[in-house]
Amino acid sequence: MAEETFLSDDLLRQLVSVGEVDLLVGISSHDAVKTVGQVLRAIEQSFQQHFVRQRVVIVLLDGGEEREDTVIETIPETSEEKKVRVPGITSLRTIHRVTANFSTPPTAGIALRTILAVADLLRARACAVVSSSSSNLTADAIGNLLRPVYQEKFDFVAPLYTRHKYQGLLMRNLLYPVSRAVFGCGIREVFPAEWGFSGRLATYCLNTNVWHEEAIRAQPEAWMAITANCTDYRCCQVFLGEKSPPRKGSPGTDIVEVLRQTVGTLFWCIETQQQLWMDRDKLQPVPTFGPAYQLTSEPTDMDRHRIFEMFRSGVTDLEPILSSILDPETHAEIKRMVSLEEGKFRFKSDLWVRTLYDFAASYHHAVLNRDHIVQALAPLYRGMTHSFLVEHADSSPAEIEAANEMLCSEFEIQKPYLREKWKAKVEVKS
Amino acid sequence: MAPPRDSLWYKDAVIYQLHVRTFCDSNGDGIGDFAGLTQRLDYLQELGVTAIWLLPFYPSPLRDDGYDIADYTSVHPNYGTLEDFKTFLTAAHGRGIRVIIEMVVNHTSDQHPWFKEARSSRDNPKRDWYVWSETDTRYQGVPIVFVDTETSNWAWDPISKSYYWHRFFSHQPDLNFDNPEVFETVWEVMKFWLNLGVDGFRLDAVAFLVEREGTLCENLPETHAIIRNIRKRLDAAYPGTMLLAEANQWPADVRAYFGDGDEFHAAFHFPLMPRMFMAVKLEDRKPIVEILEQTPEIPEICQWFIFLRNHDELTLEMVTEVERDYMYDEYAMDKTMRINRGIRRRLAPLMNNDRRQVELLNGLLMSMPGTPIIYYGDEIGMGDNIYLGDRNGVRTPMQWNSALNAGFSVADPERLYAPVISNAVYGYQAVNVDAQERSEHSLLRWMKSLIAVRNAFRAFSRGTMQFLHPSNHRVLAYVRQFGEELVLVVNNLANSAQAVELDVQRYKGYVPIEMFGRNLFPRFGNVPYILTLGPYQFYWFQLRRI
Repeated sequence: MAEETFLSDDLLRQLVSVGEVDLLVGISSHDAVKTVGQVLRAIEQSFQQHFVRQRVVIVLLDGGEEREDTVIETIPETSEEKKVRVPGITSLRTIHRVTANFSTPPTAGIALRTILAVADLLRARACAVVSSSSSNLTADAIGNLLRPVYQEKFDFVAPLYTRHKYQGLLMRNLLYPVSRAVFGCGIREVFPAEWGFSGRLATYCLNTNVWHEEAIRAQPEAWMAITANCTDYRCCQVFLGEKSPPRKGSPGTDIVEVLRQTVGTLFWCIETQQQLWMDRDKLQPVPTFGPAYQLTSEPTDMDRHRIFEMFRSGVTDLEPILSSILDPETHAEIKRMVSLEEGKFRFKSDLWVRTLYDFAASYHHAVLNRDHIVQALAPLYRGMTHSFLVEHADSSPAEIEAANEMLCSEFEIQKPYLREKWKAKVEVKS
Repeated sequence: MAPPRDSLWYKDAVIYQLHVRTFCDSNGDGIGDFAGLTQRLDYLQELGVTAIWLLPFYPSPLRDDGYDIADYTSVHPNYGTLEDFKTFLTAAHGRGIRVIIEMVVNHTSDQHPWFKEARSSRDNPKRDWYVWSETDTRYQGVPIVFVDTETSNWAWDPISKSYYWHRFFSHQPDLNFDNPEVFETVWEVMKFWLNLGVDGFRLDAVAFLVEREGTLCENLPETHAIIRNIRKRLDAAYPGTMLLAEANQWPADVRAYFGDGDEFHAAFHFPLMPRMFMAVKLEDRKPIVEILEQTPEIPEICQWFIFLRNHDELTLEMVTEVERDYMYDEYAMDKTMRINRGIRRRLAPLMNNDRRQVELLNGLLMSMPGTPIIYYGDEIGMGDNIYLGDRNGVRTPMQWNSALNAGFSVADPERLYAPVISNAVYGYQAVNVDAQERSEHSLLRWMKSLIAVRNAFRAFSRGTMQFLHPSNHRVLAYVRQFGEELVLVVNNLANSAQAVELDVQRYKGYVPIEMFGRNLFPRFGNVPYILTLGPYQFYWFQLRRI
């Protein structure tokens, strides 16, 4: 029974008043009360400028102590926002806003499930989820997420951003290459902060029995992206401009926590979606609207030496754990690297690929507590990051993109290695 | 005998708009006339209307459906004689029906003797009765009204070899109200009709009476001075008669025409009309609520006149570009249906002949603040003929029965001023007064009951309006109040059943009585009042403390 009534009566009463909609944008306010007002205004501007005729609703998930109304009212409209307004253009219909209140901040999984349920009940044709911390999200960007679904009948719209060449390294060196090689998923941002999807996909995901899984509670978006890309749903990517930097103190600044949430979820997807990838080798092409990538390269201050030291000490400290996870040959090679001077150290791409596949296979065989397996990846990821920073200190965006393409190919070439490791009989240490 | 003189009669009126030509032909010449109209007054009385607004019936070359007048104190021979008009007026008054006539004084026909004299010579005494210029560059930037046919507001007169000013068609030269003789002559014309007993005038195109360089030549202070002067004379000599402004402007601009209650008694609320259509198509109350909330207060004795359709196109002047595009896409996909900045269709075809939508719109018309105007034929759901050119498609003969020419005329069909509607859906065989009189559930019978209820409650005609704001935006709800009389109106604008929770806390203890069936509904209490409404359904509740 509880399964069928996870929406509150208060929310349901609000939905009765909204009725069927064409467009839905969901936003969770609990993690960024200071910017949610700006994001809400961007959504409303998007409706005012791009979707004046459509039936629209904004779904706000509020679980913080501070109510969103208070937040929104206290943030004055900036002069830039005023400029965005188009005189004489205004939505013909009421812009509905419904609020789902939670006593405590909802997890990402609960938030997405609620949004999907609302989309399903309101029979929304095109939906988007945006992050309340995306302070520089524009009305155009929201329009770009919704339009391919509403007008072009796509089912999943992943974002692409302008980034500094040192930003998004986890996505570029790990999440994208692994998901692309394993699932044939051509979506670069498999953990998007904002994305679009169809009502059809919303209903499918809502009715899939995953919502009590730990990985889904934390980061459901990758599962949704991979599910869409690997099944019959049409996916595309749209360029949204500059990505908002992670807020200080957010999980985005703690690499171990980030790995738990992202790589943990990715490994969970690999584990639970075997039927989607085991016999699959073809890359599912994803149409892209706008540039596929855009990198900037202004100088930044990064402490490479500290990253290297953290790599070295981490590998040393975690040796017993890594020995359980990694193939002996892979482990030996890594240990050899640790003894190198910083100037001579390079984490070669073929070793990085085997390392990742060893971790994925060990996660599958549950050779250790799976959470510990994922956390043990942290020093190795730092080693890879150090190598990247050194190798690409002077690289142009095109060179970085070419290197990334080569890394992806390496993952694809070595996919048989993953299959082999996956199917191997492994004795689990107690 | 004139109806009793309640000086605010125009606030309580339900007005029926018609053109004499279209209503009933008594002499078999194929054109409606005053004698025919007089024969049909019983029908209008039974319908429940309390006033008739007659479109221009003056002698005219009829190049703009009579808005090009060639003689202000006579009747076009097509429609009968002045005596016929007097007979009609007496008969209407005898049934308690008032009569409002058109007064088109911004311009005349170029066939009017005044203009003929004016153009005959630059020295003619009537020369200065019109607006002349040596060039066509004066009053630059003034908008052109009939953009489909006119390219300039100046026209070249080859006789006097100069340009004359016209805001409408080039065959309609504007009178020069800077000339006191023009004003006095116009007042004499008005007195002529007032002395016959007419109850009010609709002053056509009032915003354009005066021209000034560097302005849009609209809504000028000098125009207001003219109106005040007319009103002053009217109140002094003909109390109880009414002035109605035709100013297709935003309410804030029209507001000035009420003055301090010393200019017009009434004015059309043009922007409300397209928004009623828009709200139903959007299934969202936003357009209606927004425009009414933007509508300024008007003096106590003044009134807005509201309408769904009239003899012109469904004008889209008072909407934004986005709204206009939406209206075109939803109501006039076929470009033949479009003219100027509007849509030349009747109510029933606009609603795809959906009886529920037609009823909802009429329900809105009768319950919103203002005096409602019914365009002839819409009470039976008449169709239109968009292929007749200009706006003639909504001016076809009234459909009285299924006999020859819809009972409008005994002339040969070829002789009718316009063909009757004869298609399978809206044709006179299917849609006519006789058939609907005989059917208990016809639109006509329903309209009669609607008007009867409206006429029984002054809250509708004189009451204040207070919106309720239920969270369901598909539902438009408001309370009309006049003294102790309270009416709650709840409209479902959607094509699907809706549930709505109404906050009626301030009316706690009142019992709602459904006004058509007189059935009691549960008393209002402390909690939100829940109603469910079928597609396009509406309720009118009288609220009583019992």
